[in-house]
Amino acid sequence: MNAIEIKNLSKNFKDKQAVCGLNMTVPLGSIYGFIGENGSGKSTTEKIICGLLIPSGGTIKLFGKDYCDIDVRSKIGVLIESPGCYQNYSVWNNLMLQAENLSIPDAKKEVGRVLKMVRMEGSASNKFKNCSLGMKQRIGIAMALLGKPRLLVLDEPINGLDADGMRIMREILIDITKAKTCSVLISSHILGELEKIATHYGIIRHGKMIEEMTAEELDSHCRTYVSVKSSNLDELKRWLNKKYVDVKQSEDSIRIYDDINPEDVVVYLYQHEILVQEIKTEKIGLEEYYIDLMNRKVTK
Amino acid sequence: MENDNRLQFESPSFYHRIKGMLGVDFYRLFHTPLFYIFLCIAAIIPAMVLGSTGDADGANLYDNTWLMVAANTPLYVVNNIGEYANMNMVFIFGGVMVSIFIGHDYKSGYVKQLFTTHAKKQDYMISKTVTGAFSMACMCITYLLGTIVAGLLIRADMNVNVGSLILAIISKMVMSLGWASLYTLLNIIFRRYFGISIASSFFLGTGILVIGAAAIFSNSPILNIFLYGASVYACLSSTFLTFLVCLLVSLAWSFIYNLLGTIILNRSDVY
Repeated sequence: MNAIEIKNLSKNFKDKQAVCGLNMTVPLGSIYGFIGENGSGKSTTEKIICGLLIPSGGTIKLFGKDYCDIDVRSKIGVLIESPGCYQNYSVWNNLMLQAENLSIPDAKKEVGRVLKMVRMEGSASNKFKNCSLGMKQRIGIAMALLGKPRLLVLDEPINGLDADGMRIMREILIDITKAKTCSVLISSHILGELEKIATHYGIIRHGKMIEEMTAEELDSHCRTYVSVKSSNLDELKRWLNKKYVDVKQSEDSIRIYDDINPEDVVVYLYQHEILVQEIKTEKIGLEEYYIDLMNRKVTK
Repeated sequence: MENDNRLQFESPSFYHRIKGMLGVDFYRLFHTPLFYIFLCIAAIIPAMVLGSTGDADGANLYDNTWLMVAANTPLYVVNNIGEYANMNMVFIFGGVMVSIFIGHDYKSGYVKQLFTTHAKKQDYMISKTVTGAFSMACMCITYLLGTIVAGLLIRADMNVNVGSLILAIISKMVMSLGWASLYTLLNIIFRRYFGISIASSFFLGTGILVIGAAAIFSNSPILNIFLYGASVYACLSSTFLTFLVCLLVSLAWSFIYNLLGTIILNRSDVY
């Protein structure tokens, strides 16, 4: 059984097709990083899963049940864009109201628990409207965590969070998925941060899933390369192209994707009187893989 | 497979769902200045109308205090807006209040938080209708208090058939349920447009459009099957039958409007 299983999902807004034939599988206990450009259909897909938008076609199953089933819906925590809170109410009252909506028996204890999780115990009496953007996001996460959900759907939850907030968020997500009783669908443009926690990835473009993979698969896709810097990049590239097959220029360095020893490169360049300023071995991260994938799709 | 066994989901009962939602709505109602402002408005209106002069001689618009609550006989077609100036006005101002109350759900994004949980669209309609009806019923009470105080101050005639007066007041309070469901439906239809929601409640509620439309039927009791007609039917000559008619009409329309609202919410994007 999967936490989310989407088949052939589509959503039309008048003459615009936001999602077309999307397939997606979020395994139980996974942290699923949902990546795509602005307007690619991420938020629309998440809003459909959460029941805010009606799909034009396709099927969605949550834990093997229809996504509209209220049994399942009672165990979903959501943060879509920003938390839906009353501006003039305190943080505590906003969370208590949501706890009331969720029919949580010991609401005060539960609200205290989630506030502690997001390190906001000291700000419980603050009015929501007086909270900073980062604090509001933390409140949104606390709200999503109410009632120990089995599935968290988080749309851009890291936006506005400071370094400490991101660390807390990371710890919470890793912690709640450790026992495999909670699954997380998270979309973000901060890919470096996503890479630290995600166990699975889905890349969406123009409303279609173009690639789904596990963190291990991503790791195997991400090649290592040797990055070389010199004062004369053109000359450097010319000489490297003569010896190596896969050589590409980045912003301020030349990358060699061949399986080579950096020391050999230094010796080779020294022989041709090219002064190396910096040389290091690096690995392509999620961000570069994603950009590369997008570029490949555009070229195709 | 071990994980699958642990995935047991409890089905929240209707009682638990509606209790939670009503709890939130009533908390909001009692903690918003809007509610108290409208209670005050409802209390001030009768004093303003009763104290105002109706003609050039300086005579009061109404010589009997209780005409501020209801007309002597059902006035389906009003010749001037003054004839409509009784407790029915609560339903107009109540409509504006319900619109602002529901509009805040969408403005704050609360609905987003609500509809992503186990909340059913039907529960939402019921909860808003009940809260709206309660607030309008409270406005009827403050309106009555305002009428009594104003009547005593200007020493207007207080003679009335007490039984009919009580039945008229209770009947109008019962009508709050039907009106609240209509305003809830209008706000669901125009949920993305806050201003239009308020305007529609004002004009399509007991506002000018409905009063004008009643003229087509003339002074016909057939109008009693509508919210407007039944509200007017509750007058100072009310009997127990009047109360029954109001109760049935109010319940029937609130059922119809709630059903329509639920269908609209189920078939359209919420947020």
